[in-house]
Amino acid sequence: MILQMIKKQALLLLRNPMELLLLLGLPILLIAILGTALGNIMDGGEIDLQFKLAVIENEAESEQVAQFIAKLESGNLPEEVIEELSSTAATVQPVATLTDVLQSEELEELIILEKVSPNELTEVTEDDSYAAIIEFPEGFTYELLSQLFLDEGRPPEMTVYHNEGAEIAGNIVEQIVTAYQEEYTVGSFLGRNGIDPEQLKLLSTDFKQEVSSINQHNPVNSKAYYTIGMVVMNALFMAPTIASIAFREKQDNIFDRMILADISRWVYFISVLLTGMLFAFIQSLVVFTFAYIVFDVTWPDLAAFFIITFFFALAVGGLTTLLTAISYRIHSERIISFFSGVIVTIFAFLGGSFFPIGENSAFIQRLGDLTPNGAAMSAYLSIIRGEAIMDNTDHLIFICCFALAAIIIGVLTFPKRGAAA
Amino acid sequence: MLELIDVSKKFKQNAAVKSMNMFIEKGEIVGLLGPNGAGKSTAISILSSLVEPTSGDVKYQQKSIIKNPVALRKIIGIVPQEIALYEDLTAEENMKFFGRIYRLKGEKLNMKVQEVLEQIGLSDRRKDMVKTFSGGMKRRLNIGVAMLHDPEILVMDEPTVGIDPQSRHYILQTVKRLNQERQMTVLYTSHYMEEVEFLCDRIYIMDKGSLIASGTKDEIKRILASENTISVKADYWNDAFIEKLKANPVIHQMNVEEKEITFVVSREVNIFTKLAKLAEETNVSLNAVDVKNVTLEDVFLHLTGRALRD
Repeated sequence: MILQMIKKQALLLLRNPMELLLLLGLPILLIAILGTALGNIMDGGEIDLQFKLAVIENEAESEQVAQFIAKLESGNLPEEVIEELSSTAATVQPVATLTDVLQSEELEELIILEKVSPNELTEVTEDDSYAAIIEFPEGFTYELLSQLFLDEGRPPEMTVYHNEGAEIAGNIVEQIVTAYQEEYTVGSFLGRNGIDPEQLKLLSTDFKQEVSSINQHNPVNSKAYYTIGMVVMNALFMAPTIASIAFREKQDNIFDRMILADISRWVYFISVLLTGMLFAFIQSLVVFTFAYIVFDVTWPDLAAFFIITFFFALAVGGLTTLLTAISYRIHSERIISFFSGVIVTIFAFLGGSFFPIGENSAFIQRLGDLTPNGAAMSAYLSIIRGEAIMDNTDHLIFICCFALAAIIIGVLTFPKRGAAA
Repeated sequence: MLELIDVSKKFKQNAAVKSMNMFIEKGEIVGLLGPNGAGKSTAISILSSLVEPTSGDVKYQQKSIIKNPVALRKIIGIVPQEIALYEDLTAEENMKFFGRIYRLKGEKLNMKVQEVLEQIGLSDRRKDMVKTFSGGMKRRLNIGVAMLHDPEILVMDEPTVGIDPQSRHYILQTVKRLNQERQMTVLYTSHYMEEVEFLCDRIYIMDKGSLIASGTKDEIKRILASENTISVKADYWNDAFIEKLKANPVIHQMNVEEKEITFVVSREVNIFTKLAKLAEETNVSLNAVDVKNVTLEDVFLHLTGRALRD
C-alpha cells in the first residue's frame, strides 16, 4: 500500500514540470552561478597579474668580476688563496643570478623582464607600462665581491623604483629582491666563517620538516562548496512540496477516501515520511551526479557520502511529516508556505549555503550546525576534505535527533480521526 | 440497516447537527434535503464514520460504529461534494490507485476498473488526465471511484453541483439503475428538490442542523394538504395590486416575480373571485390563474419561511 502511495506521489511530481524544475534545475543553476561568481573569493582569489620589469645594469658584470680578480692578483694574498677566491668569484654573479630568478619558470607568467640600457632610465621611469625598475649602480658586483671575500667597504646598494598605481607588482619585486639579499647575506656570513653553504644544505636534509597549511586537508573549491550548499538547501524544499501535495489530498477529500477505505492514518503518515525521504535522497543524488559530471565534484569516501545523504534525507522526511501534520491540524497551507518562503531561507543562510558564514563566528557556525542542512553541510564538507565519517558523528546524531523530533511532533499533531476531526 | 440515534455535533460553539435521528433500510434511496449550510455534509461525515459525534450513536446492523467503524467502511462508498480525484493522473490511474487502496489487485482490479469506467461512460477517456475533463465527467469519475469496491451503501453528497443538465441526467439515471439493478442502498443529499423527488423513496429535510420533516414524498407533501399553492400570471404588475394582495390576511408565503406571483392559501378560501375583483380595481390584466401541485420546495418554504436555494 505504501509503495502504491509513493508511486502515485512520484507520478504527481513528474507531471508537474514547474516543481521539478525548481527542485532540480534551480540548484544546478545556482551552483553554476554562485560557484563561478564567488569562485575567486572562495578559492583564495587567484589574481590575473602580469607586469613589466626593467633591469638596468650600469656596468657589465663580467668586467667587474675580472676587475676583482685583477685586484686579488695584485694583492699580498698567498697564491692558493688567490686561486681559490678567483675561481669562486668567477661564479658569483649577483646581477645575472637575480635576472635568472626573475626569468625563472615560476615567475615567467608574472614578470616580463626587459634589460634596458642606463641611458634609457629617464624614459623608462616615465613609462607607465613598467611596474618596476631595478637599477644596479656602477661597480655593484665589484663592491659586493670585495665585501664578501675581502670584507672591504660597505655592501653595495641597488635601487628599486616602482610605479605608483602598481603597488602589488612593486611589492612582489621588493619581496623577491629582499629574499635575494637575505640569501646573499647568509652566504656571506657562512663564507666568512669558513662554512660551505652546500654542506649546510646537505646537513639540513637530516632534519625533516613537514610544511603544511593550518588545515591539513584537501581544499574545497567553490563549485564543490556550492554544490553541497545548494543540495542541502534545495532538498529542504522537497518537504513543503510533498506536504503541499498531502494537504491538497486533505482539501480534496482524497485523504477521507483513504480513511474510508480503512487505510490506517499511520500508513498514510509513513508514506508521507518515506516519500519525503526518498525524493530528497533522489534529488540530492541527481544534483550531486550532475555536479560530478559537469563540475568534477568528487567524493573521497562514497560510503560516507551515502550515509550523510541518507541521514539528511531522513531529516527532510521528518520535516515533510511535520509540515503535513500541522497543515492538517490547522486546516491551512500557511505553515507550508511559511516554511518554504522564510524558514528555508533562514536555515540556508545559517547553514552556510550562500557563503561560509560560520567562518567568521564560532557562534554562527554552532547555530548553523543546529539546522539539519547546516549539520549535513558541515558533514559533507568534512568528508570532501578527506576526514572520516567517524569525525562527523555529532552532526549525524544531530540530524537523526532532528528527524526523530519532527516525526514525533508530527505524530502528536496529526488528526486522529478523519481529516475534518 | 444504518441509523443515526440522537446525534449532535458541535464545532467549538457552533452546533452543526442537533439531535438528529435517521435510518436507512437496505435497497432504498433516501434523500437528505436542505439548503447550503443546513448540516447535511456533517451528518454524512458522522454517518460514514469520518467524524465522531459530540453525542448520540451511529449503528450499522445494530452495532455502534463509532469506536469500531471497520464493518461499515467495507460496505460504504462515499461520493464527496468536492471532486476527490488527482487532476494530474488519468482516469484509469485514479481508478487503479483507489482500487488498490480498497485492496483490489491484479486482474480483478483491471476488470473492475474497466467495468466501472463503462458504467460511468468514460471508457474512451480512460487515458486522459482528469484535468482535461469537463465538470460533468469529473463528477461521473468521482462517483465511479466510490463504486469500485461494490459498496452496499452509496452516500452521495450533492453529486450534481455545478454540472450541465445532460451530465446531471446521466448521473441521476445511473443512481436509479444502481438501485434497481443491484439493490444498492443510496443516501442522496441535495438542495435540488427535483432530484430528490425523482430519486428518493423517503426524504429527510434539514435546516440549521435539525431535521424538520421526514417521510415518504407523499407524507411530506401532505404537510401542505390543507393549503393550495396559487400561481397568478400577468404581463406586468402595479404596486397597488401587489400591496393589496400582501395585505390580504388569507394569503401567505407570497413570492413576486416579473410575470408571476405565487402564494399559499387555505383550501377553504375561494381566491379566484377575489383575484378577479382585485385585478379589475387595480387595472391589472391577468393572463392565468393556476392551482399548482404541492412540491417539496413548497413544503420547505412552508416549514422554514425560506427557499431551498436562498
